[in-house]
Amino acid sequence: MNENLFASFAAPSMMGLPIVVLIVMFPSILFPTPSRLINNRLISIQQWLIQLTSKQMLAIHNQKGRTWALMLMSLILFIGSTNLLGLLPHSFTPTTQLSMNLGMAIPLWAGTVITGFRYKTKASLAHFLPQGTPLPLIPMLVIIETISLFIQPMALAVRLTANITAGHLLIHLIGGATLALINISVTTAFITFIILILLTILEFAVALIQAYVFTLLVSLYLHDNT
Amino acid sequence: SDGAPGPGHWDADAAAGGLVDLAVPGGAFSGRRAPCLKNPVLGPGVLQAIRIFHTRQPSLAPIPCVPEYGGKVCLGLIPKEFFQFLYPKTGVRGPYVLGTGLILYSLSKEIYVITAETFSAISTIGLLIYVVKKYGASIGEFADKLSEQKIAQLEEVKQASIQQIQDAIDTEKSQQALVQKRHYLFDVQRNNIAMALELTYRERLHRVYREVKNRLDYHISVQNMMRRKEQEHMINWVEKHVVQSISAQQEKETIAKCIAGLKLLAKKAPSQPVL
Repeated sequence: MNENLFASFAAPSMMGLPIVVLIVMFPSILFPTPSRLINNRLISIQQWLIQLTSKQMLAIHNQKGRTWALMLMSLILFIGSTNLLGLLPHSFTPTTQLSMNLGMAIPLWAGTVITGFRYKTKASLAHFLPQGTPLPLIPMLVIIETISLFIQPMALAVRLTANITAGHLLIHLIGGATLALINISVTTAFITFIILILLTILEFAVALIQAYVFTLLVSLYLHDNT
Repeated sequence: SDGAPGPGHWDADAAAGGLVDLAVPGGAFSGRRAPCLKNPVLGPGVLQAIRIFHTRQPSLAPIPCVPEYGGKVCLGLIPKEFFQFLYPKTGVRGPYVLGTGLILYSLSKEIYVITAETFSAISTIGLLIYVVKKYGASIGEFADKLSEQKIAQLEEVKQASIQQIQDAIDTEKSQQALVQKRHYLFDVQRNNIAMALELTYRERLHRVYREVKNRLDYHISVQNMMRRKEQEHMINWVEKHVVQSISAQQEKETIAKCIAGLKLLAKKAPSQPVL
């Protein structure tokens, strides 16, 4: 029996060695490299998916923004695969750790902002003031826009962490409820089990959606700044 | 060296040259390919050390085929080779009994504890199995279709190229056949020209004939006119002279004779009424 509800979120270590690095690197094994012209089914589907996603995601960017294509595609693949792998029983999801999400969000966001300030300084500074604000409100609005700018990386990281963690916790709790209800009344346990199944379906969707949302937002910040 | 040796002959020059390359300190790798090995102290040592690498040709071809079907598995997880492995000792049901025994053992000894995670595992794995069973085949077909589309595209390019070349060959053949039949064209043209020449010749001939006939007709008509004029002139001359030769007395006698004759006639036909 786990000590508390949050034991499954502790960074895994085996005999004192942090194997979280191995866990983070594991999903890359699941994406084989295409080595021939006509590949097996897995690689064909993977190629098709990546082509679909990249076309859709990079359509809004100009030449400069498209240099980020590799970054964005790796991002969505990594977050999607780690989230989905975390749904397996007794697995550890790296994206539940705020440290890792901050480590992904802050450099990417900072990259977009610095790119914007470096190449289009005036346009980037103009983002601080929405069009058509009345004159007396300008100082306050600049402060508010600055705060909203600096909250972007925090929001990115915390959104991902909170969603995945909350989903895992809910699954855990409802599983525990099912387990406890089996001794009391089997039908209620069965209903709870149905709820668990629905929740699992939701979690699969959430895993993919969160990956998409993360990457999309980074892409939007990039679009603003290129 | 003097060109490639014949088949089955060992190219001594090339071999010696190759070996000579290696014998010189840093020989094969000096200069262009590995300037760092030009160091005369360390070069030979490194060279001999890495001689064990790159001894074979890199195996790029023939590449092994992609197997058409995956390995056979039982329960989606355990390869059939395991069942084959246990078959001589335990028979057909051996692996299943082993699996069931292991699961029950781990459950009863609480090596595997039933927790909340168990239920989430049941729901997740159950969901996955359901999705794979229901949509697995169609996703496989979709992947095959993707590959087929790629192959069809390339095949189409190949076929189009072949078709193009075939068309070029056919065009060339037909052109050659046409060249064989070209003499017909020349014959027709030659006939045309000959006919035109003939026509022109005959036309000119006809014109000449007409012109000559014109001249001759002219002369004939001139002759005819002269003859007619002479004839008229002669008749006039004869008449004039005859009239001149009739004297006055002869004239009176002739007129009296005519009158007597007329009176006689009048007597002979008196009963004729005058109409």
